[in-house]
Amino acid sequence: MLDPERKNPAVPIEGNQAAALEELHTPPMRLQFGPSHPATHGTVKITLDLEGEQVVWSDVEVGYLHRGFEKECETGYYYQNIPYTDRLNYSSPILNNTGYCMAVEKLFGIAPPERCNYIRTIGCELSRMADHMLCIGASAMELAAFTPMLYLIEGRELILDMVDSLCGARVTTNFVRIGGISANMPENFPEFARPRLDRALKLFEDADKLLTENPVFRQRMEGTGYLSRDDLIAWGVTGPMLRAGGEPYDVRKVHPYLVYGELDFDVPVGEHSDNFDRYLVRLEEFRQSRRIILQCLERMPDGPVDADDPRVRWPGKGRVFNRMEELIDQFKLVTEGGMPPAGEVYHAVEAANGELGFYIVSDGTGKPWKCRCRAPSFSNMSPLSKMITGGQLADVVPTFGMINMIGGECDR
Amino acid sequence: MSAEKPDEKVPAAPELSPLLEKVVSRLGDRVLEHHTARGDDRIHVARERILEAARILRDDPELSFDLLLDVTAIDYFGQPDNFEAKLQVWDRNRAVMRRLPQRRHELVLPPRGPEPRFAVVYHLTSTRLAHRLRIKCRVPEDDPKIPSVTAVWPAANWLERETWDLYGIVFDGHPDLRRIYLYEEFVGHPLRKDYAKHGEQPIQEYVGPGAKEPRRPH
Amino acid sequence: MAVQVVKVRRPAATFSSANPWIAILKGLWVSIRHFFGNLGLFLRGRQDFAIHFPEQRLVQPPALRGMPVLAQMADGKERCVACGLCEWACPTSCITIYPAETADEVERYPEIFDIDMSRCMFCGLCEEACPEEAIIMSRQIEIASYSRRGSLWSKADLLVPVDQLKTRTDYIRRNYER
Repeated sequence: MLDPERKNPAVPIEGNQAAALEELHTPPMRLQFGPSHPATHGTVKITLDLEGEQVVWSDVEVGYLHRGFEKECETGYYYQNIPYTDRLNYSSPILNNTGYCMAVEKLFGIAPPERCNYIRTIGCELSRMADHMLCIGASAMELAAFTPMLYLIEGRELILDMVDSLCGARVTTNFVRIGGISANMPENFPEFARPRLDRALKLFEDADKLLTENPVFRQRMEGTGYLSRDDLIAWGVTGPMLRAGGEPYDVRKVHPYLVYGELDFDVPVGEHSDNFDRYLVRLEEFRQSRRIILQCLERMPDGPVDADDPRVRWPGKGRVFNRMEELIDQFKLVTEGGMPPAGEVYHAVEAANGELGFYIVSDGTGKPWKCRCRAPSFSNMSPLSKMITGGQLADVVPTFGMINMIGGECDR
Repeated sequence: MSAEKPDEKVPAAPELSPLLEKVVSRLGDRVLEHHTARGDDRIHVARERILEAARILRDDPELSFDLLLDVTAIDYFGQPDNFEAKLQVWDRNRAVMRRLPQRRHELVLPPRGPEPRFAVVYHLTSTRLAHRLRIKCRVPEDDPKIPSVTAVWPAANWLERETWDLYGIVFDGHPDLRRIYLYEEFVGHPLRKDYAKHGEQPIQEYVGPGAKEPRRPH
Repeated sequence: MAVQVVKVRRPAATFSSANPWIAILKGLWVSIRHFFGNLGLFLRGRQDFAIHFPEQRLVQPPALRGMPVLAQMADGKERCVACGLCEWACPTSCITIYPAETADEVERYPEIFDIDMSRCMFCGLCEEACPEEAIIMSRQIEIASYSRRGSLWSKADLLVPVDQLKTRTDYIRRNYER
């Protein structure tokens, strides 16, 4: 029953079956899957041509959530665009904040202090955990397994509690600033976080127990959505999907940023490159993220959280209230924005779904000339049509679920 | 930057980073310019030769750029292509004004871009060798066309569709150049700088196959 | 490049995976354990996780960013001097200020101070920009209204006495000397 070698069942129609089809004169049935379908956790339209249950042609249409993020960024100061990046991948917003701010910092040539990097790392990994929980829970629910979703949402709430105590909001975090973070970590955060991390892990293990050995879940995940490693790379797929194909490409390891170079964690890779391996990779990444957070909490250094750079970081309010120079500085920074030198940078971070890059072109004014977001979901979605064509109709749902397309990021 | 004497400033010979050395030696005269700034390596390639450059970059074992991360465009509308040059001019003007405001006639305008209006930008990386490269190709406004690299990297398929949709750059040889975010009947390309941010347009009627009579009287 | 890699393994074929019913029973055991755990808590009068919203409220951390309000001083006047920095900083331009002059020591005050709450996204940049600690993200998060007009909050609606904003002001003052 559980044949690990089962690949994408692209069975050519031949022999008796072809003769039968010839006789029956059934034209392919056109099925519009979406834009709002209960089995897709994102607004996307998939047009399918079906021969019986087999998909013979498909077309994927995105863009239902296009809001003009890049156009909006061109008209705002650098600091004003940070809240918009929350809305890119709304299940792991701190990762987007960090990616954007690090790109702008690279433009300015600022290195934030150590403590800031540690807190950012904690925020990033919390976001990654929340994203994987939501991805696995939603995918399981689309395959009619409702209980794991409840456990995972409960665990995700615990993680969002921690995000909430860091920055005062659960989803629209607006946490990271250019050259710093919006607020220092609360003193009692380690004591607050550890029991919650343990409890979230327990709930996660429960969902794991429910799903990993479940024969229905495994039959629908194993062997479906197969794409070879070379195809994955050629189609620009990154993140857990690429790692499930056996390629250990992880920006955190390949181009270490923040404090990932000093931490001890593993990159999970799969070997079958199907949906079940993508699921297993996400399971393992969740555990590794928890490991990273515990290490960060242990090693958390003292010190300032903001880079002492008057070009970008607003002066502390204590000085703004009482001193003329800082008051003027505050007015200048708010009304003109920080002015980076002209030039262009690309900076990438490893988001929950793959490489999230920001390409910023500056003309020397306070507003970016161009702010491009290289969204992982967008590139990961592009081979979807290739992955589902030739398979069964029922395989579309787990494949789409394991791509974990986030509309806000894919459509920007 | 010596804003006082811009003419005497001798630009230092640009030092090649190890990656750029390899890239330039492989691509030869296909590389028009190369820069290294803030740790990013960048080369400029003429748009006619992008396809052959792409094949070399992917297939050469010492470069092996197998992962195309991003394709996008920049609209240098009304701007010099080189922002650094513009800033130099501004700094010089400021210096002139500060010293001798009566010599206002010495002020110079920033150089208007002699270069074409658009630039198509490719971001590449190698999963095996872990280096990154940015390629820029200039595309003029009156003939916004560039060969598609879909045959080299299938990942370019959607990214080029997006660039066509938002910037109106035509990718020759693309298998399926449709709009991806906006609908087919949309007028204009919204990420161009001359498309107003608040520019609204009424929903355009569908004109494709199966279109009915117009629902609204004109 | 040396990357620490851990290979994910599919669970090996065991007795339970070969017999689907046993695997399903194992899954059911997890759910039943959760059920009895929750039942036990319920019988002891404690809830495990859910919060029954109108009667119970979530305990929010001190960092909570609610809707922006204007700080009202003890004499009933606002602390705002209508400098307009929050208006500049606001990414969605939801703040409208018309300044006016007064004979007081501060010389300026906002004659009109409107916040369009249907545009506000609670990002807190106005609070960060304010040089007077006059606009503060309160703990108020229930701001639904029946009409669009009701989402436009004017100065009279926004004024909140300073002592009611103590949790938030204490929180932001921690970050003043950085």
